[in-house]
Amino acid sequence: MSKANKGAVRPKLEQEGFFGRLSYFFSRAVANLRQNVFVSAVTVGTIALALLIASLFLLVYVNLDGMAQGWSDKVQVTAYFDQEPAPLAVAALKGRVQALPGTAKVIFVSQAEAEKRLRSRLKGQESLLEGITQEVLPASFEIRLDREHRDNESVAAYVRKLKQIQGISEVQYGEEWVQRFNSFMNLFRLMGGLLGAFLTITVLFIVSNTIKLTIYARKEELELLGLVGATRFFIKAPFLIEGVLQGAAGAVISLLALLACYYTFLKNAGDFLGINPASAGLSFLPATHLAGVVAGGILLGFIGSATSLKRFINV
Amino acid sequence: MIQMHNVFMSYQPESSALADINLKIPKGDFVFLTGQSGAGKSTLLKLVYADLIPTRGQVLIDGVNLTRLSRSQIPQLRRSIGVVFQDYKLLPNRTVLENVAITLEVLGWGKRDIGKKVFHILKRMGLEDKVNATPLRLSGGEQQRVALARALVNDPKILVADEPTGNLDDENKEAILQIFKEANNRGTTVVVATHDRRVIENSHRTVIRLDKGRIVEVPNVQG
Ligand SMILES: Nc1ncnc2c1ncn2[C@@H]1O[C@H](COP(=O)(O)OP(=O)(O)O)[C@@H](O)[C@H]1O
Ligand SMILES: [Mg+2]
Repeated sequence: MSKANKGAVRPKLEQEGFFGRLSYFFSRAVANLRQNVFVSAVTVGTIALALLIASLFLLVYVNLDGMAQGWSDKVQVTAYFDQEPAPLAVAALKGRVQALPGTAKVIFVSQAEAEKRLRSRLKGQESLLEGITQEVLPASFEIRLDREHRDNESVAAYVRKLKQIQGISEVQYGEEWVQRFNSFMNLFRLMGGLLGAFLTITVLFIVSNTIKLTIYARKEELELLGLVGATRFFIKAPFLIEGVLQGAAGAVISLLALLACYYTFLKNAGDFLGINPASAGLSFLPATHLAGVVAGGILLGFIGSATSLKRFINV
Repeated sequence: MIQMHNVFMSYQPESSALADINLKIPKGDFVFLTGQSGAGKSTLLKLVYADLIPTRGQVLIDGVNLTRLSRSQIPQLRRSIGVVFQDYKLLPNRTVLENVAITLEVLGWGKRDIGKKVFHILKRMGLEDKVNATPLRLSGGEQQRVALARALVNDPKILVADEPTGNLDDENKEAILQIFKEANNRGTTVVVATHDRRVIENSHRTVIRLDKGRIVEVPNVQG
């Protein structure tokens, strides 16, 4: 026993830093990907396809929503006066309307102004206006509501408050089809949510199963790593990185495909639908949405890996 | 020091692979574990590196009770024990160098340190020409030496080997035993399971003999 202890005294070497570790895990993940090219391609393809469907939906939604916002900017509430208020009273009334929650902008249209507008609209047919005096056309406030107060209920509540202001006799608002369009957009959002949930579940199922195949192919390696003292984190990290890489690759592919779809549509829309794509104001996904798609892909890959690892690694 | 107290190990409810094992292997010892096939040698070795937890009884390594280790403490134990598996467990799609490097990668060593250390031990094993070969292209004796290099590269406190001379010719057997001896001289406690009488007879080392899961002969080792 004289020679004891010697084996226990090992030279302490500098451990690698965080980035050294990360680069090790990365190189392992890449080596794994290259060893299982086919299965990896299936995983990436699945993620890409699902994200393409989701982002196509998103693209349509973004464009419809853009149009809806454009239309609803025109939605105004017009409050008519019994009598034209005195100039001093106008300022006071304007202040009261402005104080109502939801008011974005108030413009006073005097009787004279109303007549002027009518005249310009009926240019060339002035004979129709004979006998019509300013008094026939009421003065009014044209009110624009802010974004949060444009749904049916808010507008109705707003109008009720508006009618309580003295001197206002009649209120007109909204166009019905815009309201209908808004309910359609609500339905569209709901469908989007359901589609998203369905895609997420399906993709997670497929991805975690394909990743399971690659883990199964490396069962011996995982077992050995455990036996030589690897922590569970050490064993898992390359697989998680692999999932993240696959997710990111899937996301990039889906966005490229989406871009191709978008330009194909722009090119052919004129011929088929008879609309001018440039003037229709169609737009691609904004940067935040693009980042969201990439983040979604990364998350799918990560969670897919993590769930399939859970069943395998009990080291 | 490896200690076992009243250890029982059953894979199935009725039969026990090990029964009432008591042993004490001091630090720095070189011990052979022998007995017929099925006597429980592999099972006993697996208890040492916590691949198995005994059904009953206690296993202690340097005073640490392995039956009380949490799952996150097991890697720490295994890093101080080099294991030569009966089936080698070499990864077929990695080179010899990469196979041996695994032991050090797990510890978080940097690439350059690993390279130096691995190359050094492969040279000691006479494998410097095979660094970039894959295991399947090697002979049985060479594969065994790669497995040994992987077990010894981090100068473990304990070396455990299961039938390391199993399929080897005399020349290779001699080489392997020589490597064990050198490791032991460096202070590593060595436990070798073998049913090869000739290996044991020539060595003049402590022998623990198992029969049907019980220790039947323990010269120089107190239970
Ligand atoms: N994984 C296992 N499951 C069930 N029985 C096993 C298992 N491993 C070993 N045994 C049984 O335990 C006994 C001891 O086996 P083992 O330790 O491998 O003996 P040895 O290594 O001395 O040949 C044998 O009867 C064997 O059949
Ligand atoms: Mg055995």
